[in-house]
Amino acid sequence: MILLENVSFGYGDDSSTVRDISFHIERGEFAAILGANGAGKTTTAKLIDGLLKPTKGRVLINGLDTAKTRVSERARHVGYLFQNPDRQICKNTVREEIAFGLTAVWQNAGEDAIARRVDEVLESFGFSGDEEPFSLSRGERQRVALASVIAIRPEIMILDEPTTGLDYRECTHIMDTIKTMNEEQKTTVVMVCHDMEVVASYATRALVMAGGHLLGDGPVKTIFRDQELLKRASLLPPQIVELALRLGPGFENADTVEEMTEAVSARAKRKGAGV
Amino acid sequence: MISIESLTFQYEGSTEPAVKDITLNIEDGGFFGIIGPAGAGKTTLARALCGIVPHHYKGDFYGSVTVDSMDTVDSKMTDICRVVGMVFQDVESQIISSVVEDELLYGLENYGIPHEEIEERMDFALREVGIEDLRYRTIASLSGGQRQKVAIASVIALRPKVLLLDEPTGELDPGSSRQVFGLLKTLNEKYGITIVVIEQKIMLLSEFAKELAVMSGGSMFCHGPVREVLKRARELEEIGVNCPRVASLAQNLHKEGLLKTPVLINVDEAEAAVRRLIS
Amino acid sequence: MKDLFQYTAGDSVIHKLNPLTRILLAVAVCAAAFVSDNLYYLVGLLCFDMLLGLLAGVFGKALSLLKGLLKISIFLFILQILFVRKGNRVFWIITDQGLILAAKVVLRLMIACIPLALMLAVTQISDLANALVQVAHVPYKYAFTVTTAIRFIPQFMEEMADIMEAQTARGVEFDTKNGLKKIGMMLPLCVPLLVTSVRRTDAAAAAAEARGFELRNRTSGYKKYPFHWCDLLAVLVCAALIAGAVII
Repeated sequence: MILLENVSFGYGDDSSTVRDISFHIERGEFAAILGANGAGKTTTAKLIDGLLKPTKGRVLINGLDTAKTRVSERARHVGYLFQNPDRQICKNTVREEIAFGLTAVWQNAGEDAIARRVDEVLESFGFSGDEEPFSLSRGERQRVALASVIAIRPEIMILDEPTTGLDYRECTHIMDTIKTMNEEQKTTVVMVCHDMEVVASYATRALVMAGGHLLGDGPVKTIFRDQELLKRASLLPPQIVELALRLGPGFENADTVEEMTEAVSARAKRKGAGV
Repeated sequence: MISIESLTFQYEGSTEPAVKDITLNIEDGGFFGIIGPAGAGKTTLARALCGIVPHHYKGDFYGSVTVDSMDTVDSKMTDICRVVGMVFQDVESQIISSVVEDELLYGLENYGIPHEEIEERMDFALREVGIEDLRYRTIASLSGGQRQKVAIASVIALRPKVLLLDEPTGELDPGSSRQVFGLLKTLNEKYGITIVVIEQKIMLLSEFAKELAVMSGGSMFCHGPVREVLKRARELEEIGVNCPRVASLAQNLHKEGLLKTPVLINVDEAEAAVRRLIS
Repeated sequence: MKDLFQYTAGDSVIHKLNPLTRILLAVAVCAAAFVSDNLYYLVGLLCFDMLLGLLAGVFGKALSLLKGLLKISIFLFILQILFVRKGNRVFWIITDQGLILAAKVVLRLMIACIPLALMLAVTQISDLANALVQVAHVPYKYAFTVTTAIRFIPQFMEEMADIMEAQTARGVEFDTKNGLKKIGMMLPLCVPLLVTSVRRTDAAAAAAEARGFELRNRTSGYKKYPFHWCDLLAVLVCAALIAGAVII
C-alpha cells in the first residue's frame, strides 16, 4: 500500500532532512511515526502524501510513484489532517467546507452524489451543516477538518500531530473516529504524534526517527520496551510501561492501567497468602 | 501575591462571560498549575492576572484582582506587567525582534532599566534559561523549543515576581517540554519567582506543580495541592481532564484495598508503592 | 522566496552602516534609475546593485531576486517591443527604438526592486525602528507600526505557503500552469489568512503592551546609532550616483 524505497529529502543539516529511509505499510495498519522535533517525522508524512517529492529514492502509493502522480488523483486516495485546522478551512459554513474538498477530488461525481455524501458525513459527525467554522472552538474546527477529509473516503489517512492544542475529550473524539475508520473500512493510518499515551492506546506499529534516520520499526509494545532505542530518539515510554520496566520480571505484559492493576494485585495477594 | 475575588469577565461583543465567579489565592513563591478542557476560561483568567484583561481586551469586569497590593483595574497595565511577566501562547506573535539579544533588550529598554544594569540583566536571563550561546543568533534560525526559551528569557530579564505562562509546551516535543518545566522549577526554587502555568499536559503538572486549579466552563471546578486534586481523578475525567496513568493506577489499587491513599503523582512514587505491596 | 525578507546576520561594510544610511542608499539607487536615460549607465547601476549584494554578503539573495524579476521582465520586454512603432524596423514589426526603450524599462524595474529588498535583508527591523526614533525623531508608535508591518511579511508568506500546501493535500491543483486559474483558486484562501492575521496582530499588540510598549521613548534605546566615516562615504556615493544619472 505504502512503500518507501531508500528515500532521502533535503540537504545539509536542515531540520526537514530525511536520510535514506525504507519501509512498507500494509493496508489496514495503524502506524505511528515517533521522534523529537526536527527528527524528520513531518517531512516523512509529507513525502508519503506527495506534498514533497523525494530527492533520492521513490515513494509508491498503491504502486504509483508519487513523483509522477497528479495532485487531484492522489488526493482521492490519501487524506491528510494537519495539526492546524485553520490552514485548511476556507468556507463560511461546515456544509460548504465539506463539499469544497469533495468537488476538488470527486471530479466526475454528480452534484447529487456529492450532496448525499455531505449529508452523510454531517450526520455522522453530528453537525447541522450551518455552523460557521471560525466561531467554533479549536477542537470543533479540527473535527470539521477531519470530516472534510473523511468525506472523500480515503484509503490512507495521514495525521500530523492531530491532537496538539486539543483537550483530552476532543483528542479522544478525534482519535476514536479514526480508530473506527481503521477497523471498519480498513483505512490505513499513518500518524505523527508526540503524545505517547495516545500512541499506546491507538497505534499498533511504531516507526522511530531521529536526525532524519529511521532508527526502529516494529509493534508499539516492543518499541516502547526498547529503552536503548527510545533514549537514542530522545523519547520517553508511557508511564505504565516505564513502571513495568522498572519493576522487572513478572510485569512484561503490563502495558495498560488495567493490566498493571491486575498484575500488582495478583502478586500482592500471593504475598498476602504467605508464599 | 495575587488574590482574585469573585471575578466575572465578559468580552465586549460576547454573549456569555468567559470566566464566572472565580475566587483564588496565589501565594508568594508558589508553583501553580491551571488545567481544564477547551473553553474553560484558562486564557482569560491568565489575562486577568496580568491586567491585559480589562486593559487591552475590554469588556464587563466584576469582582477584583489584586496583584502585589495593586488593584488591576485601577492600576496601569504596564505597572502590573512588571510584577507579573507573561509568556503568551503564540510565541511567534510575541517575539518582536529578529535577533535574540534585541528581543531581551526590548522590555528592558521600555521599562527604563538603567543602561549600566542592562548587560548584567541580559547575562542573568540568558544564563538561567541556558541559552547564552544563542545570544547573537537570528530568531528565524531557532527551533520551537529554543524560541520558547527566548520568550521566557526576555520576560525574566525584567525580574518579575510572578512568571505567567499560557501553554508553554503546546508545540514542543516531550523532551523539550520537560526541559521547559525543569527551567520553571529552577526559577521557582532558586529565585523564589512565583510560577503560574496553564498546561494541558497533566503529567508535567502533577510532577512539577505544587498546587493545581481545575477550570471548567468558565468556573473554578476545584483547586488545592496537587495530591488533593488528583484524588478526584474520576470526577476530573468526567469534565474532560485526564489524569496521569499512575494516578489512575492508584485509584484502582485503592479500590482493591491495596493502597491507603488513592494518589500517586509520578513513576518514582508508583514504583516505591508497588514494591512495598509485592515484596 | 520567503527567506528573501529574512534578516541575514554578518559584519560586512553594509552591516556597519547606519540603518538609515542603508535605506538612503537604496532610495538613491532607485532615484538614479528613474532619472537616468542612458542605457549604459543603467547597466552600470544594475552592476552596482549586484556589487551591493556582494559587499553585504548576500550575493546569493541578489541573484535569486534577479532571477525572480527575470520572468516579469521578459514579459514586459516583449510587450514593449510589440507596441513601440517608432524608429527603424529591425525585424518583423520590431524597431530599434522599441528595443532600446524596452531594455530601459526592464532595467529600471530590476534596478529599483533589488536594493530595497537587499537592504531589508541585512537590516534588523528593530534597528531600523530604533534609528528612526533616535536619529530621525520619528514618534515610536509610527516607527513600530511600519516595522511591524515589515516584520509580518515573511510570516504571512510562510502562512500562505502552509495554507496552499494544506489545500493541495485535499486535491486543489495549485500546480496548474494557468496563472489566472491559480489566482482564482487562491482568492478563497484569503479568508483563513485574514482570520489568522487578525488574531496574530492582536496577540502581538497585547504582548508588546505587556512589555512596556507605551513607556518607550527616544532615550530608551540601549544601542546607539551614530554616523561613521563610512556613512559619509555612502552619502557621497549616493550623491555621485544621482549626479551621474543627471549628467550622463
